[in-house]
This record gives sequence, structure tokens and C-alpha cells, in this order.
Amino acid sequence: MTAKKNKKRKNRNINLQKVKTMKLAVMMLIILLAFAGLGARLYFLTRDNRNDYQKRILSHLGYNSKTLPFKRGSILDANGTILATSEKVYNVVLDCKVMLDDEKNEEPMLAALSECFGLDRTELSRYVKDNPASQYYVLKRRISYEERQVFEEYKKAYNEQAQEHNKNVSDSEKMGMINSGIWFEEEYIRRYPNNTLACDVIGFTGTDNNGQFGLEEYYNDVLNGTNGREYGYLNDDAILERTTVAAMDGYTIVTTIDANIQAIIEKYIRQFNDEHMNEHREGLGAYNIGFIAMNCNNGEILGMASYPDFDLNNPKDLSKYYTQEQIEQMQEGDGEDYYKTLNELWRNFCISDTYEPGSTAKAMTLATGIETGRIVGNETYECGGHLMVADHDIDCNIKAGHGTLDVSGSLEQSCNVAFMKMGEAIGVKNLVQFQRVFNIGLRTNIDLAGEARTAALVYSEDTMRAAELATASFGQGYNVTMIEMAAAFSSIINGGNYYEPHVVSKIVNSNGDTVKNIEPRVLKQTISSSTSEQMRQYLYATVAEGTGRTARPAGYAIGGKTGTAEMVPRDKTNYVVSFIGFAPADDPQIVVYCVIDRPNVADQPHASYATAIVKSVLTEVLPYLHISRTEEMTITEQEEADNLLENIVAGGNKEAGDGDGNEEGDNSDTGENEGGADESGDGQDHENPDDGAGKPSYVVDPNTGELVNPDTGEPAELNYSYEGGNGDDATPNEGDAQAPVEEGAAQ
Amino acid sequence: MAKTRAKRQVQIRSSRHNMDYILLTVVLFLIAFGLLMIYSTSSYEAGDKIGDSAFYLKKQLQSTIIGFFALAVMIKFPYKYLQKFDLMAIVVSAILLCLVMTPLGVTRNGARRWLDFKVISFQPAEVAKIGVIVYLASIIQKLEGLGRNVIRTPKGIAIVMIPPTIIAALIYGITRNMSSAIIVMGIAVAMLFVAVPDYKWFIAMGAGVLAIVAAVVAYVSSADTTGSGFRLARVRAWLEPEAYSTDEAFQTLQALYAIGSGGIWGKGLGQSMQKRGFLPEAQNDMIFSIICEELGLFGAMAIILLFVILIWSCMVIANKAVDRFGSLLVVGVMSHYAIQVILNIAVVTNTIPNTGITLPFISYGGTATLFLLTEIGIVLNVSKSCK
Repeated sequence: MTAKKNKKRKNRNINLQKVKTMKLAVMMLIILLAFAGLGARLYFLTRDNRNDYQKRILSHLGYNSKTLPFKRGSILDANGTILATSEKVYNVVLDCKVMLDDEKNEEPMLAALSECFGLDRTELSRYVKDNPASQYYVLKRRISYEERQVFEEYKKAYNEQAQEHNKNVSDSEKMGMINSGIWFEEEYIRRYPNNTLACDVIGFTGTDNNGQFGLEEYYNDVLNGTNGREYGYLNDDAILERTTVAAMDGYTIVTTIDANIQAIIEKYIRQFNDEHMNEHREGLGAYNIGFIAMNCNNGEILGMASYPDFDLNNPKDLSKYYTQEQIEQMQEGDGEDYYKTLNELWRNFCISDTYEPGSTAKAMTLATGIETGRIVGNETYECGGHLMVADHDIDCNIKAGHGTLDVSGSLEQSCNVAFMKMGEAIGVKNLVQFQRVFNIGLRTNIDLAGEARTAALVYSEDTMRAAELATASFGQGYNVTMIEMAAAFSSIINGGNYYEPHVVSKIVNSNGDTVKNIEPRVLKQTISSSTSEQMRQYLYATVAEGTGRTARPAGYAIGGKTGTAEMVPRDKTNYVVSFIGFAPADDPQIVVYCVIDRPNVADQPHASYATAIVKSVLTEVLPYLHISRTEEMTITEQEEADNLLENIVAGGNKEAGDGDGNEEGDNSDTGENEGGADESGDGQDHENPDDGAGKPSYVVDPNTGELVNPDTGEPAELNYSYEGGNGDDATPNEGDAQAPVEEGAAQ
Repeated sequence: MAKTRAKRQVQIRSSRHNMDYILLTVVLFLIAFGLLMIYSTSSYEAGDKIGDSAFYLKKQLQSTIIGFFALAVMIKFPYKYLQKFDLMAIVVSAILLCLVMTPLGVTRNGARRWLDFKVISFQPAEVAKIGVIVYLASIIQKLEGLGRNVIRTPKGIAIVMIPPTIIAALIYGITRNMSSAIIVMGIAVAMLFVAVPDYKWFIAMGAGVLAIVAAVVAYVSSADTTGSGFRLARVRAWLEPEAYSTDEAFQTLQALYAIGSGGIWGKGLGQSMQKRGFLPEAQNDMIFSIICEELGLFGAMAIILLFVILIWSCMVIANKAVDRFGSLLVVGVMSHYAIQVILNIAVVTNTIPNTGITLPFISYGGTATLFLLTEIGIVLNVSKSCK
């Protein structure tokens, strides 16, 4: 019984074992078939879709191309002061898709945005709700590195806190994180640390890196670099390679402009404007005031300014000169008036505007006469107050007449009659030829954008007749630009070498290595050195004894010539007054030229408006250039010089005191009270308060030429950057570092 | 008498310790490889969102260590005692599942599937899988002890199949976890299949399931079904992934891109693009696609081969096991692995609609790892007493 049972059980077991083995085999077969099927599916997926899917992955990774912006080169002055530079800024970009990886992130991330960048929460929420898949939405443009850091620190602090929190709680209670859905796009913007300083020379640049006016336009291609690129591509093994081609930063240009001289010039032309604003008519102190200071021995421009000026950081700001209503009126319609006004403001008077030079041209006439031998120096001229030339009765500047004048006296007194007679002696052919020799009617090819062509505004031998010859000999009837005159005049007094005027002396790359030195270029010999020597004598006498007397700074011997040109229509109302001069008289180093277009005064035809500016400028600039006094100073002059220093110190204090004032000319009353007796003494405190903080504050001790601290009168450090003049702009952000004055100024 | 002899035989066998080391080696390799891939797939996202790129690796390492303890315990623990827990296994599983509805239940990643006992938290569905295996192995053996064909009577089938069906229904009903429900039913059917000599019923059942699937697919693809539930949407997304590339099919498509772009040899370990934010939580269900992307078709086939060896070893042990109970336990574990691996790879390759099944030993998941290793412990224990 037991055995039977056992046997039965055994059978059953064998049976069960058989079934089990069979079934396991079937199951294993099914499993293997399933794996085989899946393996085949994998194989076909890979074989058929590989390239397509790889492309898809690449396309949504967005590595195809990303532009890395280059840095536009800086513009430095001769001492290395930054006149223009490009600063890296950041655009805040929101990537909703990345942010919404986890919906919890929205809350803290939008909170961070409104906290750090002051953005409106509700507006952000609405945008995210409407565009949850948006990947590129610029929230804020051009924030600084510091502003970006505020966010980065907030993010770091928040995320650390959130991580700490999330470690110990379940998923549902986890805090959201600030992820890479907020990122920063890099960009460069142009900054002009000195705002209005040398605005006409520098020009400006928008974010498109396209320079307009001045150096920015002329040297646009040099200043610009090449954008870099970051992109992905598939290599031979179909692996994504990311490659970065770094951006090539633009070259920096080192100019011959000296920010100190430039600032001195601007100070005094602005002072003139402030004094004469709204004096005779509604408006500025003159339609235009231009001033050029150049090194007459190599053509380098040391300073070039015109007024009205504008803030390079905000070139479209007209609020300084017009009321809001006026601006809105201009903008009406197609805004033609508006852009015309802006263009007027932006153009550089010194190179772009033409005018009749007036008596300053007499220096050229006389030099022509001497060089051609038509005037030997012992001639005398009889002036009766007017001269009949070819049916025209042409007046002299003094109706009563000058009486008998020798050659020097004619120049000293600026006698038109004498010069008409000289012109007659010189003849049309010589005069026209020498205008060409002096480059009148031709561009000087100065390296600034917008130089005017004057070829059609001068006479040729065919068009110049007796009357034209007569007026041309004293500078009327043809047009010039200031730079033409300054360059021609430099050759007259420097021994006859005509230098091409230029503003840039050196081009350096982003590492500070010199790429190109721009050497002075002598274009031609205009007159002989003996003629030049003679001209220096005459021009010295003109300042020492004649009409240019008011241009002479105390203690210096300078030469020069005034100019008063009547404008068309010749109704004796509108004049361009000017003075062109050089210093020192015996060994010219610097040529200065000041032109005032229609001064805002009742009685315009007085060159003294121009000579006063020149005198003030030279009083500060000559000591700064280490040109020492050679002349005896009278007791009054000595006092004036002392007063000037005192005024500088007092003015400096004053400036420090109300530096944020905005009303133009609010100091003018004080200035006249203090220095009314002598123009060189007054108005040190006329510093235009519009300058703002970026303006270099400098003062020059007129006795020593050292820069002094306006607070103490002691030789002082400058409060703005010098970089040793090597043009290294690698770290513009650190440019604020204080540097001792010896390094930059004492050369 | 026979019983004592058998018992002695078992003791003799077990003293020899001829445990299946191939199986253990394969499992160890899979675990190590899984940790490596978890780090590779999760480090970018973890670093970005949590700030610790090894966050998931560390958590997985923890549960792996606990899992190895469980494995070691189960190797020593005489598996025969498990027979006594048959009813209890089912009841405990059911209770734990019901507890999810109480405040002890926790929602993670948008699904209420967890129990949190403060000290330990886990998915009861994972417990239920092992519970069902133990119950079935035990009850089938007991029914067979009652008579040759008891199990084939309607009553017998009911006793075998109704409890797993209830568990599957609870899993689906309470935790909305369809994949675990499918796995539980799959295990039950597979164990029954091995236990009885019949084929007809299973073929008929298989045909029936296929017919239903075909009907659903036909309905979904023809009818205007916009607005219906997320499961239907998943089916639609499966049928035309490109048309739903931004929504339901986003994950599937990104996984396909990953697989397709890997080529034969892959981009190299750690070189995946898709894990960088495009395939969210790549360390979970979709880890196999990143394996394909980084290690290529070659790597994927190697992993499949390892699973085949694993399952094959289980089959051999099930076949050689000295007793019915041990054999059925191994069959249950083996079918569990097989179903999960096959379904996972099928989902990743868009062969079936997305159901959210993890890849055993490799995907991230604490509870799953713990119980998978426990199951391996049981299999190794059975292997010690093989003929």
C-alpha cells in the first residue's frame, strides 16, 4: 500500500518535473524571442535613424552658433587717459522652458528677478503663463557686472538654503531652485568717462559698433575687431565637437590730444559762451566757437574743441540747449528738424564748417609777397580809409585811415588798404598759386571724419579778378576751414614745413603692443625759412605793438594775427572774429587758433573776443608745456598772475562745493566781480557745472606749469586715471586706480 | 520516511554550499554597472538642481547596501519557512497598499505610491510583488498536495488567481500604477503556466489579450479621442510620437533620439547629450536609452545578454530545485525579472506605450533595489539545495 502510494507519488513527481521542465523551456523560449525582437528593434532604430536623430539632438542643443562679441578698442589721449572705451555689460535673459523644468522653480526665480532687477512680478508671471515654451526673452538690457553679481550672490544664497531644506523633506514639500533658466548675454557698450570732453574730436558709437563723427568714424575699422564664434559640429566619428573661435578685440588708438590742454580750451570757450549768452539775442554766446591748439613742428593736434558741445554718453540729449517743448516740436512730422539740429550739434566746427578767414589770412598774403619777392620789406603804404578797386570802393577797417604804414605796420594795424595794394603787387597768379601751396581749397587729410571740401569755395586764376584779388588779399571772398588755416599758419612760422595735421599718434593692439606708429608727415615746403623768420618778426610785432596786443599772456612773447571777417550779406552786422597765433615768438612750439562765429554781442567786429580766449588758454597751457616766461612782468602783471593762481585755488574749492549745480552761468556774476579788470584773471570759477563727475579736474600753476591741487595750491595728484601713456587698455575696469601726476603730466 | 530522507538530502546539499556563483556575479556586475550609469545619467541634473552631482548615486548606494544585507539574510534563511507566510504575504501586501490612502501615504513626483514610516519609506507595490510570489509558490504546492488535478478545477484556479488579481486591482486602483499591476498579473500567470500541464487556456488567454489590445489601438487611432484620459493619450503618443512631440511623447521621443544617436559603439561613457536636461530624470525608467546613447548598440546588447544569463540561471535553478516550493519561488522571481526587463526595453524603444517600468538592478529606485536583491537572496538560497 505504502509502496504503491509511493510509486504513485513518484510518478506524479516525475510527471510534474517533466511538465515543469517543458514549461520552463517554453517560457525561456518566449523570453528569448522577446529579447531577440527587442534587440532587432534596437538595431533597426539605430541603423535607420542615426543621422536624423543626431541632427535633432544637435539642433535642440543650440550649439550651432553663438557669437562672442569683440571689444572695440579704446581711444586714449597722449598721456594714456581714457577718452573712450568699451565696457562689458550683460543682458538678462529668461528661458521659460528651462525654468519650468520644475514648476516649483517659477516662484523663487521670478522673486529673484523682481528682487535683484526691480522687475514687475505680475508682468513676469503673465509672460511665463502665456509663453511657457519661450527660450529667449530679454528682461533687462545692459546691466553692469556689479548688478549681475547681486543676482549671482542672491542665487547662491537662495540655492544653498533651498538645498539644505530639500535634504530633509519629501518631494511635495521641496523648495524650487534657481536654475540656469536665467542667464546673462554679454555685450559691450561704449563709455566716455569724460562725457563732453573733446566730443567733436572723438565722435560716438552706438551698440552696433558703428562709429559716427570724429575719430570713432574715421578709425572705425581699426577700433573694431572681429566677432568670435562658438559652434558645434560633428567630427568624423559623429561626435559633437564644440569649438570656440575667440573674438579678436579691436585696436586701441592713442591720440595726440592732451586731455589737460583740451579741458583748458573747453573751459574758456564755455566761459565765453556763459558770459555772452542771451546778451544781444536769444541764445548761446555765439553760433559757434572753435579752438584748435596744435604742435606747429609736427602737425599733432593737442586740443580741438567747439561749442556747443554734447555729452558723448548721451549724444541725443538736446535738453541742455532746448526746452522739452522745443524738442518735441522738432520731432514732429518726420523729425527732419530734429536730426538737422542734432547733426549741427555733432559736427566738428573746426574741420567741417567753412567761413571767410578775414584778416588772419593777411599773414598768408604777406608771406606770399615776401616769398615771391614782390614785397621786399621796405615798402610803405598810404591808407586813406578806403580804396577804389575796379569800380568798387572798399573800406579799410578804420574809416579815417591809417596814414602811412610800412610793411610791419600794415600787419600790425591790419590795414586792408595796404594789403589790397600788396595783393596788386603780388598778382592773381602768385596769390592763387600760393593759396594752393598753403593747401587752401584742399583737404588737409586730418584723420577725422567729416572734413569739408573747400575746392569750390576758393578762387582759381580764371575766376579771380581785380576786385576779388583785392578782397582775397585781406581774407574775404573765399572760404576755409579752421584746420586748413591752422596747418597753413604752422608752416608759415615753423620754417616753411607743411605738416599734415593729425590726431592719432599710435595704434596698439589689445595686449598693448604697438601695431603702428603714425609719424609726422611733412607734405611740402611752403616758404623758405628766411621768409618764415621774417613772418615771425612781423607777427610778433602784431601782438607786441598792434591789434593782437590783448592776446599776449603775461610774461610771454608770442606772435599772431587777429581776424574780423564780415559775413554775407555785407551789411556790417554779422562777423566771424578770430585770432591765430603761436608761442613762443622766437621758437614756436604751439599754434593756437580761435574762431568765434557771430558772437552774441551788440557790436560784433572785435577780434578781442577771440584774443581774450587765446590769452586765457595760453596763460595756462604754456606753463603746462614747460615753456617758461621770457619777458619782464610789470607789477600789475605779476599781481594778475598771482591772482590767477589764487582764483584757480578758490575756483577749485568752489567747484568742489557746488559741483552738482545745473544752471549754466550761475557763477558768472562772481567771475565778473572778481576779475572784471582783466580777462585773464576772471572766470577761473566759470567752470561749467554741466561737466559732471567724469571730467578731469586740473589746474595749472601759471608760474611753474605744475598741476596743482585746487584745494591747497600745492602740487598735486590728479584725481583721474593715467596709465603711464603706454596705451595698455587691457583692464579698463581697473582704470580708476590713482596714479601720481609725475607719471602722466610731467613730460 | 520519505520526508525525512528528503530532508536529510537537503541538509547534505546545503552543507556543500554549491550556490550559483554565476548568478551572483551577474547580479553584482549589474548592480555596479547600474550605480555607474545612475551617476552618469543623474550627475548633470543633480548638480544643476540640487547642487550635489552625486546626490542620486549616494541615495542609491544606501539602498544597495541595505539590499545586500537583505540578500545575505535571505541566503541563510531556510526558504521553506516562507511557506507558512502564504496567506499573510497576501494580507500584508493588501493592507500596506490600502495604507497608501491613509495619511501615511506620500506623493512623490506627482504620484501617490509611497508609504512613509518615518524610519523607512517604500512602495508597497514592490512588497506586493514578492508577496504574490510567496503566496503562489506556497498555495500551488499545497493544492498539488491535495490531489493531482485539484489546481485545474475552477475552484483551484480561483484560489490561485483571485488573490493576485485582487492585489493587482488594489495596486492599480489605489496607486494608479498600471505597470506594477501588469507585473503582478504577469508573475501570477507565469507561475500558473509552469505549474499546470495545459497550453490551450494560455494560448486562448494570450489571443484574448492581443485581441483587446488590437481593439483598443484601432479605437484610439480611428476615433476622435481628444480630451480623454492620460492613458489614452499615452497610447496615441505611442502610435504617432512625432505628433505629440511636445507633450505626451516628449520623453519617448527624446529616448528614441538618444538610442538612435548612439550608433554601434556609442558616444562614450558620460558623453550623453540627452541627459543634459532633455531627457528628464534619465536615471529612472529611461536609463536604458542613455546606455544606448553612451555605450551604443554594443553596450545595450551586452546588458541584454547579462539579463538573459540571469534569467537562464534562474531557469536552471528552478528546474533543478529539489522541492516544488523552491522551484516555484524561483519561477516567480525569474518571471518578475523577465517581464520587467522586457517591458522596460519595449517602452524605451517605443515598442509599447509608455507605462513607467524600471530596469531591474540598473534604474534608480530604493525600494525596487531592496526587494530585487531580496529575491536574488531567495533564488541563491534555493540554488544551494539544488540536485
